[in-house]
Amino acid sequence: MSPNITQSWVLALVPEIGLVILLAAVLLYDRLVKPEERRRVGLLTAWGAFAILVTTLGLWLATGEPNNATDIGTSLMWGGMIRFDLIALVFHVIFLVALMLTALLSLDVEHLQKGEYYALLITAAIGFSLMGASADLIMLYVALETASISSYILAGFATKDPRSSEAGMKYFIYGAFATGVMLYGMSLLYGLTGQTNLYILGSIFGGFQQIPTEVNAVVILSAVMIMVGFGFKISAVPFHFWTPDVYEGSPTPFTGYVSTASKAAGFAVFLRVFTTGVLGEPSDASMWWAMLIAITVITMTLGNFVAIFQKNFKRLLAYSSIAQAGYALIGLVTLSPDGSSATMYYLLMYIFTNIAAFGVITIVSNRIGSDELEDFSGLSRRSPYLALVMMFALLSLSGIPPTAGFFGKFFLFRSAVNAGLWWLALLGILNAFVALYYYLSAVKYMYLYRSENEDDPIPVSRGAKVGLAFSLFFIFYLGIFAGPIFEWTRTAADAFFVLAR
Amino acid sequence: MIPLSWYLLVAAALFSIGLYGVLARRNAVAILMGVELMLNAVNINLVAFWRYGRFPEQPVGLAWAVFVLTVAAAEAAVGLALIISIYRHRDSVVAEEMDTLKN
Amino acid sequence: MIEQIIFIVISLFTLMMGWIVVSNNNLFHAALALMASFLGVAGLYVMLDAGFLAMAQLLVYIGAISILIIFAIMLTRRMMQTEESPFNSQPGLAGITAVSVFAVIAFIFWQMREFWPLGAGEGAMPPADKSIILGSVAKLGEYFVSPDAFVLPFEVASVMLLAALIGSIWVAWPKTEDES
Repeated sequence: MSPNITQSWVLALVPEIGLVILLAAVLLYDRLVKPEERRRVGLLTAWGAFAILVTTLGLWLATGEPNNATDIGTSLMWGGMIRFDLIALVFHVIFLVALMLTALLSLDVEHLQKGEYYALLITAAIGFSLMGASADLIMLYVALETASISSYILAGFATKDPRSSEAGMKYFIYGAFATGVMLYGMSLLYGLTGQTNLYILGSIFGGFQQIPTEVNAVVILSAVMIMVGFGFKISAVPFHFWTPDVYEGSPTPFTGYVSTASKAAGFAVFLRVFTTGVLGEPSDASMWWAMLIAITVITMTLGNFVAIFQKNFKRLLAYSSIAQAGYALIGLVTLSPDGSSATMYYLLMYIFTNIAAFGVITIVSNRIGSDELEDFSGLSRRSPYLALVMMFALLSLSGIPPTAGFFGKFFLFRSAVNAGLWWLALLGILNAFVALYYYLSAVKYMYLYRSENEDDPIPVSRGAKVGLAFSLFFIFYLGIFAGPIFEWTRTAADAFFVLAR
Repeated sequence: MIPLSWYLLVAAALFSIGLYGVLARRNAVAILMGVELMLNAVNINLVAFWRYGRFPEQPVGLAWAVFVLTVAAAEAAVGLALIISIYRHRDSVVAEEMDTLKN
Repeated sequence: MIEQIIFIVISLFTLMMGWIVVSNNNLFHAALALMASFLGVAGLYVMLDAGFLAMAQLLVYIGAISILIIFAIMLTRRMMQTEESPFNSQPGLAGITAVSVFAVIAFIFWQMREFWPLGAGEGAMPPADKSIILGSVAKLGEYFVSPDAFVLPFEVASVMLLAALIGSIWVAWPKTEDES
């Protein structure tokens, strides 16, 4: 084993290397900065994430790597641990944007201005990025745990607040349990083949004319167990129990982070594992595929119907995010390049939309000390800017043009129809109508209802303004010029299905 | 000679015991102990699969087991820190009584 | 034959201790049983010729994790002796779930007993000859630092440990009024 690290091996790790450097810088800077200037640590994180984002995209434009070649041999790197393809790039963009926006929107919350908080956001981002790139079960597991462990602490970060501690505890218990089950399933795949690389596994199982029934039973068992772990990450029903409590109790900026980046990372590994054919070809007879469709339907429906009855804004968005995971799963169950790219597009637009929504809640609840829906009454008079951002975020979540959410849903439903799952698309559309009801009722609170404190404006700091404006810009950009971005994710998605051709 | 399936059955039994602990216990520390048992079961699986597998000259299963060990240590530290933090607030670590977040 | 008897003894010990962990009313006793169970697992590793992992198990699980758990139990000592039931409202349901999970796994494995590992042909495969796995610890060390193997997860694990370190100190550190 002669180490022959090539240029593209290093290029593949540029975002992660950048994040590690940023991590060191943040921890060091936190010690040097004066207590009253603590905000600068957050600004450093945001600028750092932005710089890494620009570098990553710049290197891609300059060197052409990762290219959209779908050859496995050249795209597997570091001993097959990660795959350097356009998918990895798309997810790197997603996570870096999420990190940047979360850091910007955290700036206003006094008790989060700690080096530890930003350091953990960065370690979580490192875990997410490697999850998005991983091509090996071991790499996937370690990256997933890096992200999870950082997230458990971030959920319980506000140690003064009993709700936050409780959120951290719950997230930890459910998370440790789900990843334990997932790991058992993964160990079975290793046991069957002696291999851990997803693509080698995929070609082994693809090479069979007829998988013996006994072996198939083990594969299904392991698929179900892996689904528990991944389903937890994307908060799909029935592994969603933690979602409302953790979303409500966690510090709000982190809730935005976990609902977008963590979910996107979950989808990344879901797509990586289930499209390689590791778990057998999907067909009408394939049990795990039927289960996945059932999960999709229940996740969409349950999320939306429970969200109607929520009185707390964060809980409402928690159930809405369960429903959104259901929509994104539609693209996954089609198991086609079209569907996968629709899912990736959806996740990309979801970052801007949901972080903007949680950003507004952060600023408002930081001021009024509550995140109940009725305390948002009269927001349009107290802060027209915040109410406007929130309204467009909610419209995007419900999928109204010209916001990004419209094309997100459009691509997903179109891929379902093309794959012959028209009834799934129909269910999705019906669900979107149900969702419209509770999103609009939240808008009603902000715009139509009055409150006594209307002459008490809510100040917005410059960092948060920039973050929200950035999100708002992309909510519209992705809603109007969806074509090129979708083409980009579509090209990327081909790399998922290299074994299928 | 001990057949591979013996090891796997022991691991499956240990996994199920851990599962029971996680699902049935009230105390957060006890739940954590259940999770640790589950991870141990996975490790038995991994090592047995390496020893009986097709590629015993490549200790991939061993390496994986070492990673699981590392993760378990980190997870235990974080879990217990969270347990202590919650204990400060309510003098109890009973998972069922964590109901501040229910409406 | 003797090997099999030793295996059965170690396994029964491990599982019985595991059962005490999940069923004992006294958390402190449960933690001690957990240590014993870890010891049994280490014994299984020895039987599988994974001496290195057995040592790591002793150091990390018994030496660190169990001690950490015992510390946590003593720091939250009010919950150590309690007259209440150690179980939540649904031990029956949990029991049924656990037993059925075991039954399903055991059934599938029993069907598979001739097939492990995939492609090995008919009949269960005996463990590899000891001469083949002789240098596996050296190989393991090489794997962890080789770019053609696990150097990347190895490095990421260090980031994870750093995160766990920073995070648990932050969360467990008692906060005074001025530094909340």
